[in-house]
Amino acid sequence: MTEKITFTVDGKTLEGKQGQLLIEACEDSGIHIPRFCWHKRLDPVGMCRMCLVEIETPRGKALVPSCTTQVTDELIVETESNTVKKAQEGVLEFLLINHPLDCPICDKAGECPLQDQTMAYGPGESRFIEEKRHFEKPIPISDIVLLDRERCILCARCTRFSDEISGDPLIEFIQRGNKTQVNTFPDEPFKSYFSGNTVQICPVGALTATSYRFKARPWDLKKVSSTCNCCSLGCSVELNVSQNKMLRILGEDNEFTNQGWLSDKGRYNFEYLHSDNRLTNIKLKDNNSFVDANISEATEKLKNKIEELHNPDIKFLIGANSTNEEYFVINKFANLMNRNEFLSKDKSNVYFADDNMFSGYFGENHQNASFEDLDSSDVIVVWSEDIKDNIPVLFLRIKKAVKNGVKLVVLGHTNSSLESLADLYLGQDVISNNFELKTNLGNIKEFQNIIENKKVTIIVGKSTPLQQKKYLDNLVDHIQKYSQAKFLNCFTKANTFGALQHIDQIKGLNEFCNEYEESNKNIVFTIGANPVNASFFGSKIENILKKADFVVSLDIFINATTELADLILPTTSFGEKEGTVTNMEMRVLKQNKILPGPGSALSEWEYLTMISKSLDKEIKYENVDEINKALCDEYENNEELPSFENLNKPSNLFGMKNRKNIDINIKDLEKNDLSILMVKRLYGDSSTQINSPSISMLGSERFIELNSKTLEKFGISSKTANLIQDQHSIFVNIKINNLLPDNIVLAPINRRGFKNLDPTKDFDIREATNMKELSVN
Amino acid sequence: MTWENARIDKAKEIIEMYPQKRSALGPLLYLAQDKDGYISDDSIVEISRLIGITEVQVQSVASFYSMYKQEPTGKYLLSVCKSISCEISNSSNVIQKVKEFTNLSNNETDDEGLFTYESVECIGACGGAPAIQVNYETVEGLTPEKAVDLCKWLKEEQPKVVVADELQLKFGGTKSFDWAIEDNTGSSSPVPGFQTYEMQEEI
Repeated sequence: MTEKITFTVDGKTLEGKQGQLLIEACEDSGIHIPRFCWHKRLDPVGMCRMCLVEIETPRGKALVPSCTTQVTDELIVETESNTVKKAQEGVLEFLLINHPLDCPICDKAGECPLQDQTMAYGPGESRFIEEKRHFEKPIPISDIVLLDRERCILCARCTRFSDEISGDPLIEFIQRGNKTQVNTFPDEPFKSYFSGNTVQICPVGALTATSYRFKARPWDLKKVSSTCNCCSLGCSVELNVSQNKMLRILGEDNEFTNQGWLSDKGRYNFEYLHSDNRLTNIKLKDNNSFVDANISEATEKLKNKIEELHNPDIKFLIGANSTNEEYFVINKFANLMNRNEFLSKDKSNVYFADDNMFSGYFGENHQNASFEDLDSSDVIVVWSEDIKDNIPVLFLRIKKAVKNGVKLVVLGHTNSSLESLADLYLGQDVISNNFELKTNLGNIKEFQNIIENKKVTIIVGKSTPLQQKKYLDNLVDHIQKYSQAKFLNCFTKANTFGALQHIDQIKGLNEFCNEYEESNKNIVFTIGANPVNASFFGSKIENILKKADFVVSLDIFINATTELADLILPTTSFGEKEGTVTNMEMRVLKQNKILPGPGSALSEWEYLTMISKSLDKEIKYENVDEINKALCDEYENNEELPSFENLNKPSNLFGMKNRKNIDINIKDLEKNDLSILMVKRLYGDSSTQINSPSISMLGSERFIELNSKTLEKFGISSKTANLIQDQHSIFVNIKINNLLPDNIVLAPINRRGFKNLDPTKDFDIREATNMKELSVN
Repeated sequence: MTWENARIDKAKEIIEMYPQKRSALGPLLYLAQDKDGYISDDSIVEISRLIGITEVQVQSVASFYSMYKQEPTGKYLLSVCKSISCEISNSSNVIQKVKEFTNLSNNETDDEGLFTYESVECIGACGGAPAIQVNYETVEGLTPEKAVDLCKWLKEEQPKVVVADELQLKFGGTKSFDWAIEDNTGSSSPVPGFQTYEMQEEI
């Protein structure tokens, strides 16, 4: 424990920790010192001088920046003396010399630290009559961020963030003195998965986001805290709404999860909520086209269909964006709709739309880790899907832990972005193209030295649907034998863990394809799932849905899956529904409602209760609170329940004390030799992203990655080529990634044109010679 | 690849001398300046690849220091000191004469690409003020006339390499102290105290 010390601020005696920064120690005790450059999550830099305070030194009183001064025992500090006030006025006068007075048209005005602190601590009057510095305003530094250099006060928050936190320093100070400006290198835009954070931490209006520019004034915004649903990390967010339109999502500083940061996907993937393509009416298929219907027509139709088909087989394909309350109702409904009217182990009818599902490491032998364990463990071992692309903020947490001295071991081949942080990267010498361990890990001395007798956090999941689980077991068993291990099961999609908790038994898409019997009468429900697009099983599922007797889709868009449905029920989405979600450390977090659903859209649970009522198998819930209570009732531990009231606390791990064991029933796919490694990229062609104009283009680049040796084999020298397999030909950009094993090409499954590739078949790469070949077949 | 192999080899040699690759940034920027007379964007890309930092980080350093040139310079960069010691030793006359002779104002390069003129802050030759640098090779104890002679000589002779000692002997006066490195081989471009001259021969 760090030593407790006492110090005096403005005559009051306060407690602090040895080595703590003065500004932070004061903040903890409720004394606010004005600042621009200092940020709790960034290293101090002392750029802006706004936080000057007076301290007693052996040579009398001295002005020091409180953001770079450590608090010491019996330190005497003045934060409101005349000298300090004069210094603050002076600093602000300097900062305002070149700052334009365009507050009336500036997006930041109203929530601008410079504006606010000038009001509170400024000189009140300007003495500056000279011409201010001018720059072209604003300039785009990436597809989603704009930079107005005139407004910049050179606090270095953005440049420090990109260097220290996200590790992609593509913006820096250029020039010096009066000419200093933040900028990118020509033709090298600020292409970062985390660029939106710089917009949020900018203390002036210098960095603005394309999606929010000129959309609203801060005082017009309605705000509510919620939890992001873009991946399974569960970032705390603040939703900003004006006139029933979501305008902005900000990161909230939740010590336990995102620590203030968000990925750009989580931050900007919201415009789809107000897209014209949103489903607003119930649609019934009539002769291959959809016609609007009302809810009683819809339930009637479904009821008749069920009766007509005489005991049909009913299966549920569910997605990851439902709340725990919705999964709870889905589970009840699925059980009711089962032919035997109860669920036996071999009769599970709920299938989760994630290619990389596996049975996971749960239960007594596998202790669940929290994100805090990343910081407190000695070693982090990663073998999973690409963390940076699938759980971006977890990448930041790992980076932070590594910076603080935690060792990192990364196993290939999907996490090349972690290689530069890793103490040990195990590539093709150790891991085969099929993600099999080639040697006993005990034989790898380096590995053994790092993990032996250490506290290890393992982030583990399937890297590809074709990976056999026993290979993961090899790693896990080995580490458990030699060290203390905790687990983060790497299921990457939004509320996967909520589904695991609340659905009796979950199966995967492969099971769906195998267990679907054409000879039976079949009804398929798809609930917030689009497995036809961007899935390894896409074409199989497409065929099944085409042949099924009746398909009911609960979704927000017409997409590759829902267009095959016979009945589409428009549902509410993020920000339009209340409920809880469970993140990958089994922490239960609250999602709040701030928007009305569009048109006649309802929550998934509302549809399901209505349908069940029409079938005389009633599930009686009037509102979400009731479902939440019912859900809590099934918890064995009554002290810490994931009830709405309890979730107002900053954090909790209620999910850990689950009422039942997690049951995932997944079998491995047939072992095949991989030649194309399909991975999911952060940006792709999901219906939410392509309907969000600000970020819709970010997932449009088609590229493949391979190592230079493999590329040499094909004799290609250009940076673009055609990737060819059977009848498919895709024009792609080529990226060299020498961490990949030989003879394998890495392709993004969630980008247009890639979903029809077969990962187990060979491919060819040919020079793209004429424009005809450029088109996607 | 925009750099010649010999230059890349030299760069690698320099990188070897540092415990961390990125620490070699300073000298590598001189290599870049030696190539084009200024730090070109192509060279920035090259350096960022060589030492594993981003282009903009290289640019940040390159644009911070005024002796790394961001624009192409002439064959001879004339840096006349305007700081206090030189000023009280009549540097303003030296400045005026040099400006008149070259017909250039501050930070300008002539059309032939022969001279670039700049007036600079202290170049550390106060004891021998007023002083001037030609491609960062220092000449001390100048008079306005000698300064013009120096420019004339450069224009007529157009030496491939300028060497401080030689210039000092021909045009200089009082010398503050023997500050130059012993085996000074001079400079073939605006690259101070960094002997790329030999490499120039190789290329």
